[in-house]
Amino acid sequence: MPFERRIAVTVNGVRHERSVEPRLLLSDFLRQMLNLTGTHVGCEQGICGACTVLIDGDSVRSCLTLAVQADNAELRTVEGHGQAQSLSALQRTFKQCHALQCGFCTPGFLATIEDMLNKYPLENENRIRELLSGNLCRCTGYQNIVDAVIAARDDLAQSEAANQQTQQE
Amino acid sequence: MKPAPFDYCAPQSIDEALARLAAAPQAKLLAGGQSLIPMLNFRLLATDLLIDLTGIAELRGILPHGRSVRVGALTTHHEVETSALIRERFPVMGEVMRHVAHLAIRNRGTIGGSLVHADPAAEWPLLAVLLQARLHAVGPSGKRAIDAQDFLLGALTSSLDADEILLRIDFPALPRRTAWAFDEVALRAGDFALCAAAVTLSVGGSRLTGGPRITDARIALAGVADTAVRVPVAERMIRGQRRLTPELAHQAACAVRDAINPNADLHASADYRRHLCHGLVKRLLEEAQRSCAAPAADDGGDGH
Amino acid sequence: MRKRSDPARLRRPTTGETAISRPKYVGAPVERREDGRLLTGRGRFVDDVAIAGTLHVAFRRSDHAHARILKVDSKAAAACPGVVAIYVAEDIEADFQPIVAQSRMRGYQPTAQPILAKEKARFAGEAIAAVVAESRYLAEDAAALIEVEYEALESLVDPLRSLAEDAPRLHDGTSSNVLVERRFQRGEVEQAFHNPPLAVKERFRFRRKAPAALENRCYLADYRGAADSLTLHTSTQVPGIVRDALVDCLAIPGSRLRVVAPDVGGGFGGKTSLYPEEVLVCVLSRRLERPVKWTSDRLEDLTATSHGFDEVVEAELALDEEGNFLGLRADVIGDVGAYSLFPFTAGIEPVQVASFLPGPYRIDAYQGRVRCVATSKTALGPYRGVGRPAATFVMERLVDMAARRLGQDPKAMRLRNLVQPEDFPYKVASGIVWDRSGFTESLAAACEAIGYESLRGQQEEAREQGRLLGIGMATYAELTGIGSRLSASPGMPFNTGTETAHVCLDSTGGITARFGVTSFGQGLETALSQVVADELGVAIEDVTIVQGDTAAVAHSTGSYASRGAVMGAGAAMLACAALKERLLRVAGLMLNAPPEEVTLAEAGFSAPHSDRRIGFGELAKTYYSRQGAIATDLKNELGELSASRMYDPEWGTTSCGTHIALVEVDRETCQVKVLKYLVAEDCGQLINPRIVEGQNHGGVAQGIGAALLEEVIFDEQGQNLTASFMDYVLPSAAEVPRMEQVHLDLEKPKTLGGIRGMGEGGTIGAPAAIANAVADALAPFDCEVTELPITPERIFRLTRDGRDGSGRGN
Ligand SMILES: Cc1cc2nc3c(=O)[nH]c(=O)nc-3n(C[C@H](O)[C@H](O)[C@H](O)COP(=O)(O)OP(=O)(O)OC[C@H]3O[C@@H](n4cnc5c(N)ncnc54)[C@H](O)[C@@H]3O)c2cc1C
Ligand code: FES
Ligand code: FES
Repeated sequence: MPFERRIAVTVNGVRHERSVEPRLLLSDFLRQMLNLTGTHVGCEQGICGACTVLIDGDSVRSCLTLAVQADNAELRTVEGHGQAQSLSALQRTFKQCHALQCGFCTPGFLATIEDMLNKYPLENENRIRELLSGNLCRCTGYQNIVDAVIAARDDLAQSEAANQQTQQE
Repeated sequence: MKPAPFDYCAPQSIDEALARLAAAPQAKLLAGGQSLIPMLNFRLLATDLLIDLTGIAELRGILPHGRSVRVGALTTHHEVETSALIRERFPVMGEVMRHVAHLAIRNRGTIGGSLVHADPAAEWPLLAVLLQARLHAVGPSGKRAIDAQDFLLGALTSSLDADEILLRIDFPALPRRTAWAFDEVALRAGDFALCAAAVTLSVGGSRLTGGPRITDARIALAGVADTAVRVPVAERMIRGQRRLTPELAHQAACAVRDAINPNADLHASADYRRHLCHGLVKRLLEEAQRSCAAPAADDGGDGH
Repeated sequence: MRKRSDPARLRRPTTGETAISRPKYVGAPVERREDGRLLTGRGRFVDDVAIAGTLHVAFRRSDHAHARILKVDSKAAAACPGVVAIYVAEDIEADFQPIVAQSRMRGYQPTAQPILAKEKARFAGEAIAAVVAESRYLAEDAAALIEVEYEALESLVDPLRSLAEDAPRLHDGTSSNVLVERRFQRGEVEQAFHNPPLAVKERFRFRRKAPAALENRCYLADYRGAADSLTLHTSTQVPGIVRDALVDCLAIPGSRLRVVAPDVGGGFGGKTSLYPEEVLVCVLSRRLERPVKWTSDRLEDLTATSHGFDEVVEAELALDEEGNFLGLRADVIGDVGAYSLFPFTAGIEPVQVASFLPGPYRIDAYQGRVRCVATSKTALGPYRGVGRPAATFVMERLVDMAARRLGQDPKAMRLRNLVQPEDFPYKVASGIVWDRSGFTESLAAACEAIGYESLRGQQEEAREQGRLLGIGMATYAELTGIGSRLSASPGMPFNTGTETAHVCLDSTGGITARFGVTSFGQGLETALSQVVADELGVAIEDVTIVQGDTAAVAHSTGSYASRGAVMGAGAAMLACAALKERLLRVAGLMLNAPPEEVTLAEAGFSAPHSDRRIGFGELAKTYYSRQGAIATDLKNELGELSASRMYDPEWGTTSCGTHIALVEVDRETCQVKVLKYLVAEDCGQLINPRIVEGQNHGGVAQGIGAALLEEVIFDEQGQNLTASFMDYVLPSAAEVPRMEQVHLDLEKPKTLGGIRGMGEGGTIGAPAAIANAVADALAPFDCEVTELPITPERIFRLTRDGRDGSGRGN
């Protein structure tokens, strides 16, 4: 192979070293080289959001990122959020709200929402919908996803309030 | 949809990047990759070497310089969106960033990449002409500074040479009492705008000079020409007036509509774009006038 | 009678003979069983299946919409690194029998669908050459180097042009470009249209859509030479149909040809056809004796996956002075693209427009004509709602136009003309029979729930302020769960009337239920578990569902046409009842009681005069594994503790609903904002209200997309200008409103369990409701909404030009 590069990437806490072609998209690296097939590909143009993962905590399109650009980075993919038996808080609200149908878009939504919850106050439904607009879902009509975000936001606010209280005590 | 093969390097300094660029005439610079990688994926573009600029620390950051602000070319949309300095000095910029694509793209996409890419409907070129930015670049024959209006030559065309690197963008301070307003119309939230518009109104003068007047008015548009444009004829109609009446806003908006010559595309005809422009500009002028009149107008504006 | 979905009321009392104890699951908003794996990235979609040694395919596709292929030069491509082989049509011809969608419809002209275009390309994006390489990257490198020489032919972009005598024929040997033509006639149409007090006539245009499931199509074929067996992993809605077709096409016996559709990322009709790429990976895997995979990218999906809708409809409604419908006539021209797709043919979409046009209304005189016209575009296939979205759009627009002309309220006009409760069963002019369903009730319920009268008041006020508020409603009806007495595939030589369930208790006490109906987001794994668990009195976790695998049952055609739940649940009930009978006999023996006295509840068997409770595990172990415990005669008679049953609902059943939308058109931007949306529908017994509501949310979102944003656009040369998600605009969360739902459960239909099909209703009602709402909002202008999507550009032209508006052309 021409132009091979050696990279080291930490994904969900596990360090991987691989030789890759510079043109290899991060989405393909995750799916094909690391067998982390939870990251999905829907457009390879940045529009659908299905491939969104967290790089150093920021949501990023893995179809618009080269694997070589992730050298030395910390990634979190859907496989790192929780297990079927021990879902993350956000995954639980997704299940409770029936926020997924075929589930193809779901991993991307989870990454986007984690980032949204971190970065924005999500003060109202319009704002939430606006921030979700970079992830397309063809199945759910979004309502239950919006509800899941609202539930996750409120849960987070509650647990933060509880934390503050225990700290004060 | 996979890119054709290319080589890759990630220089750590501007000099190293320049050297790489000089040695490989077909090379492309990579910033956030949010415009470049889609083109590579579609094989609309081929290159033999990608020079990744993201490792060059001195290309990042937002710094005050007197009353103006310097933004490194590799600063991301999201960094601008959340910068306290920007919020204080150019609140319009922070507001506009919310309309640029989506969070995941704002996390990567950069001001420099957007300006060099020069999409006719992109927001950064609009801001650059609105705020009369000066762009600083470096090439084999040294540094130069270019005014935004001269930098943006046309659709996907900037005046940067292939062997030059955009370093930073300087935004000169706005007059003290400046109100602003921005809005855009897109088919779907986060999409490139069918038409985007921003206005600023600056008020100056006092009783001594015969009462306050509009000392400066700017109207900038994107999505309605090959590149972001200002509309001097309409700005002149407003400048020097005591206040901007609804009637004047309407006349200025008509002047804007008549001055532009939009392209038609799949989703919007030239006439529809003219119609959008008129409505947007009129509403934004009125909004800006309202916040001029409001007591807090000195330090910014309302946007919405 | 009207109930909002309140979980508490959804626990229905026991009915019917098959119910064993109080049902615990059916009717309850049970959380989904598939969610665990899908939420954690452990789902298994076809592209996730990795088999060592897999080769990857990329295509060189036609640059022209209609052209003779003179020469394909792949020399340079063949020399690329990693390339294993490159094929054109001639290279593989001998390896398969062509695919031809057949139909007994009179005058139907079938078109063979090439795997790779030979001699001629008939749409831009049709595959001409296939590159097989070690990776998709390498395959694409080579495909880019293949040179094709064409002789351009006239592109047939406008179906009206295609209809013309002198238009070139897209397919040699056809007598015209009309692939299907049908007429419907009932009643005295001439008379109805002879000087009626009022007639409203319009020419409507419903523009082409792309199903655009988020998962692109993906196929992985794995041929094993030693066993002469083939496994195809495919993102299909219809594995059974694919298997049966491939057996003929590839001459591999069905026992060695297995088609697996694991998790499928949405379908919406776009995955109900057998595709050339699907056949090709099989052919190439057999040739090369290596696993071969093709994963569509979005560009390929938007150009080579079947499109939906796309009709020109001229329709006229005659009324008397009071607003009673006298007659309806319509001429439908369907733009069906280049090929008649297997198995549902070019007729599937446009014929349903004509046959469903009278909708839920009493119309004695109807005349409909439909022509399905071939053009040099991507083939048209089924898309959610099939025919009925366009039919409902046309009919509901005519109703509103008539109401406006007569100065009547649209609600009153509808109530007057809908099939009334006492009219059921009602035979529609096109031959469809509606069984009792809440046509008028859904309208009344929708109006009540949304506060129709006060909404009108609100509109009045808004209008006074110069705001453009509009209210639109649409009532529709559909046939679901169609059995053998009708056909979901008129005139097509396969059986869509039955589905199978196989339920088995294995020697460890495990319960496995196998189905032919597939799931691609509808949550059938959960819904069917609910049914089986209730029927067998066990916990839902005790049931394992197997579906999406032709090895599961002997025959199936899969999920489409809102049949999955009706037919799957029916078959499950029958199979469970049969299994239960066996289990009771075994349990009786173990409890020393006659089988009729044994009860099965809470996962255990008991009898009146015994304290003993036998669980499924104990029963299974005793029966299968304890030698001598069960008499030989009985074992010989009962055999395996399993039962397999087919269910045929015969006529199927009617589902219906009314949608109401409140929209505002922004004068400045010409954009439409949906402010309120409500669905009232009659879908019988809900198996899982949470899933039903989710289906409606999704269906309505697609309908709103179809009404406001989505449109596949071709230029004059037949190039698809909307071949990316940038230009084919799917709605995002910001464009879709929050919606409310009302579920009516009036009289239970005759289907087992009283289930009516659902899943498509959202997409059927929404385009019409939105169109009517926008038209209502634009009432101050002298214009009518006759074309969907009603984009800002079209609204701009309508409001500027009045009546004529835009795009009245084809
Ligand atoms: C789905 C989607 C939606 C989007 N929507 C919008 C939108 O609504 N509005 C909008 O404005 N943008 C939008 N964008 C584009 C986005 O803002 C990009 O980030 C931006 O246009 C390019 O910035 P980049 O840093 O990613 O540049 P890159 O893609 O890395 O580069 C773009 C070009 O600039 C050159 N370049 C980059 N940096 C330099 C430099 N320092 N010196 C010289 N040349 C340089 C590159 O060589 C390349 O030619 C969207 C993108 C996507 C994928
Ligand atoms: S696949 Fe990356 S955004 Fe669609
Ligand atoms: S759940 Fe299917 S695309 Fe979102």
